[in-house]
Amino acid sequence: MNDYDNIWGHRAKWAYLLLIVFVLMSPVFYVMYISFNLNGFGAARYVFTWKWYGMIFSDQLLMQALRWTMTLAVMTTIVTVPFALLAAKLYKISEQKLLIVFLMLAPLFVAPDILGSALLVFFKNLNGSFKSLGVLLGTDMFDAWFRLSFLTAWIGLVIYTIPYAFIVILITMGRFRTEQTEAARACGASGWRAFWDIEFPQIRAGVFSACSFTVILCFNEYTRTSLLKGGFDTFTTVLVSQMLNEGMSEQSYAMSSFMSFVAIAFIGGIILYTLVRSEALAREARAKAEPIMST
Amino acid sequence: MSALGNTDMTATKPAAVEVRGLAKHYGSVIALQDVNIKIEAGEYFVLLGPSGGGKTTLLRTIGGFHKPTKGAVLLHGQDVSHLPPDKRPTSMVFQSYALFPHMNVLQNVGYGLKVAGLSKRDNQDKSAAALELVGLTGFESRKPHELSGGQQQRVQLARAMVLERDILLLDEPLAALDAQLRKDMCLELKHLQEKVGITFIHVTHNQEEAMTVADRIALIASGELVEHGNARDIYRAPDRTFTASFVGENNMMSGAVTDVSGDKVTVTVNDTVVHVDRRDKAVSTGEKVSLSIRSELTRMTLDPDDAQVQSGHALTGSYREAVYLGLTTSHLVDVGTGHDLVCRVVDDLDVLPQKDQPVTLYWRAGDLRLHTQ
Amino acid sequence: MSEISGGMIPAATYKASLMERSSGWIFYVPIVFMILFFAIPMALTVVFSFFERTMFWMEPGFSLKAYENFFFSARLKNFLSSMYYSLIAVVICFILGFPIAVFLRRSVPQVAQHRVILLFILPFMVSEIIRIFALRPVLQRNGLINTALQNLGIIDEPLTILIYSHTGVIIGEVLSFLPFIVFAGFLAMEAVPKYIFEVCDDIGAGPFARFRDVILPLAAPGIFAGSVFIFVNGIGVALLPNILGGPGAVNAGLIATQAIAALDFPLAMAISAIMMLTLMGLLYIGHRIFDLTKILAPIN
Repeated sequence: MNDYDNIWGHRAKWAYLLLIVFVLMSPVFYVMYISFNLNGFGAARYVFTWKWYGMIFSDQLLMQALRWTMTLAVMTTIVTVPFALLAAKLYKISEQKLLIVFLMLAPLFVAPDILGSALLVFFKNLNGSFKSLGVLLGTDMFDAWFRLSFLTAWIGLVIYTIPYAFIVILITMGRFRTEQTEAARACGASGWRAFWDIEFPQIRAGVFSACSFTVILCFNEYTRTSLLKGGFDTFTTVLVSQMLNEGMSEQSYAMSSFMSFVAIAFIGGIILYTLVRSEALAREARAKAEPIMST
Repeated sequence: MSALGNTDMTATKPAAVEVRGLAKHYGSVIALQDVNIKIEAGEYFVLLGPSGGGKTTLLRTIGGFHKPTKGAVLLHGQDVSHLPPDKRPTSMVFQSYALFPHMNVLQNVGYGLKVAGLSKRDNQDKSAAALELVGLTGFESRKPHELSGGQQQRVQLARAMVLERDILLLDEPLAALDAQLRKDMCLELKHLQEKVGITFIHVTHNQEEAMTVADRIALIASGELVEHGNARDIYRAPDRTFTASFVGENNMMSGAVTDVSGDKVTVTVNDTVVHVDRRDKAVSTGEKVSLSIRSELTRMTLDPDDAQVQSGHALTGSYREAVYLGLTTSHLVDVGTGHDLVCRVVDDLDVLPQKDQPVTLYWRAGDLRLHTQ
Repeated sequence: MSEISGGMIPAATYKASLMERSSGWIFYVPIVFMILFFAIPMALTVVFSFFERTMFWMEPGFSLKAYENFFFSARLKNFLSSMYYSLIAVVICFILGFPIAVFLRRSVPQVAQHRVILLFILPFMVSEIIRIFALRPVLQRNGLINTALQNLGIIDEPLTILIYSHTGVIIGEVLSFLPFIVFAGFLAMEAVPKYIFEVCDDIGAGPFARFRDVILPLAAPGIFAGSVFIFVNGIGVALLPNILGGPGAVNAGLIATQAIAALDFPLAMAISAIMMLTLMGLLYIGHRIFDLTKILAPIN
């Protein structure tokens, strides 16, 4: 934006931008609105209440599903983020950049139902093969390795979230200067030490974002998880089965709203924090980019 | 060509740094080719050359950041070719962006000591001493982005020197600084090295920088070691064509040899006969050779019968223009070789020649140099 | 402290430590993982699609029945029409969302840009199933939009095409995936230097010409990638036609999940294989035209 730009044009564009964001968020706001209604969804009269939020914790089905989802989310993050880090490092060093990027980002372009179906059939076949191998060797220890279960859902979620984590970490690492690692090595630090002392503190924010992002993605993911999980329920599968059948329960609305609140608070917090510190951050960024070279 | 120090001692201490037959390939790109150098302990050694010529690759290979494709790197006589940077007795100063932004100055300087396991007390004492050495006492708690470019480089120096290693590598340390600051810091680097007494290996593409600091210079271009020797010899008596064209302001000419007799070689440059000393070079009649002469040794006269002009040590041409640079004035003369020759003088000429006026360039016998490679 | 005195290096350190030498392999673990659990299963869909269907599973063999089932039935027609509507959604997303990306890059200061991007990440914090499902009460016959429009007197009869129709699916798609075009556009616009706008102003090029001749070619790889993403997800997310589509509305994703529910695995595999090949084809064409490696240029 320079001095000659039309200020009203600028404001109009901002207004449009915020309108779009509002429209995108409107279903969420609507769900929140419903969650406070004593009479539930679609009722003619609206009575404000906190009741449903209180009842979240007594809904056993929901809580159990939530526990499974939480476990899945944490386990996925534990695998996805380190994998993304390793792959990003490899990408920086390697000459076959295209292959690495293609492999890591391809799951983004495969529709969830397709990925879920492909993995489901793959796992069932794998399980069957292992079983046959066991029969051949006269043992049954291979029997249930890849049956549809937590493990398969976990693998599916890792595949799903890796591209996102990879992109976030690549972008963060992009700002990191390799001279720093070299300087650390020149000071006597080994490769791992240089990473931990020098690189990690500088990409910490990106790693943290990748972790949060992954957890949130896992909570919200439905299709792949439902196809791959086997016998247990996750948060999203409970919601969908309710939706498609008798409609979502009031506690489910409350739970969904609660999750949305948390997520919005999280993002909102980041936005506010950078807003408050924006002047200091901008100054620092300028000084880092162009130090004075005459003294 | 310069000799490499003592040759008659039987039990010589190994050179601080030796590079033998070093080659570095990146796929089909040859970054370094058959480089052989010996650098003595306590020397200020400069790797000079054009950008992309291989001097930084060489430095980084010595430092352990590149693995040689062929050949070996020996430090204090030991082959370290397979060792990573953290296991070599070298420390390094980079061009820029190499200070750790999340640590303050004191922590930056003391990082290597921390890795080595020194106690906090010793670490702080040594770091403070190093900061004093580079003149930055009082800056301990500043962050890198609060320092100017020159201060950042000094912190890097302190960080490298606090480790008390024998060999300090500097990769274009002054390249990002403004011209005046660069001049000042050059001198500071030289004094620092004299004070501490360790080996400095300094990479630069800037001649003036090289000449200010170096004991000896090695010219690296196109992956090859073109020539090496002390600064004076490289400037005054370049052996190779490339050296003459890169170091100092030399007038370059080429021609064919028409006669070789004893120490005198006769070359035809653009239909003019010119004599030059052979100086033990192998040269034969008919060979194409290069000639060079420093622009400050090239003189100009408007009078073709000027007594100072000796036959065989002059060229005629037409005057082009003068470039006034304050201290010096460069007179450009077209002698028909394709590019103008330069006569560089310190005094002003009150009356400049006219454009296209015929002039004669001449020089003292012996100032012209012959190059066969 | 002989290690840091810089003297002769002890012989023991001559051999690089085992850790250093063998630590290279760990970097390949993610790659191996992706090959094992992504590339191979996707490739195997082609193999499995030729298997023969049995009561509860399938049997190795070579049969084209699954493809017959797909190509010679209404499924093909539905598949193609869902592609058509998904394409419309992509175009709408682009028209609505890309200008935002341009505006962000051009007129918003650097630090604030990322804050705004965060705003667009906000919808993702909520599950897409909730977002899609919450559209029902908004688009329905007696839903929010119709009630509001009728109360304002703009229409007399409620609009029934908003939901349980192709329009509903498109609306759902646009709302679900619009942020991606903003992200992709934002990343893509990194390839367009800021001075372009000043230069265009100088030479008097109008915004449309500027877009067509300068921005589009430079930002094309990123825009293409974003569009492929939206397109593929549009035809592949089963929930969209399931919840928002009309009777019998299906897309590839729904056909596949329905097939699995009906235990016709070869058919599901056939659909997956077709989708995968469609995707690869699109990416390949895109790469030839635009050189998709440029997308990652700003990250390098």
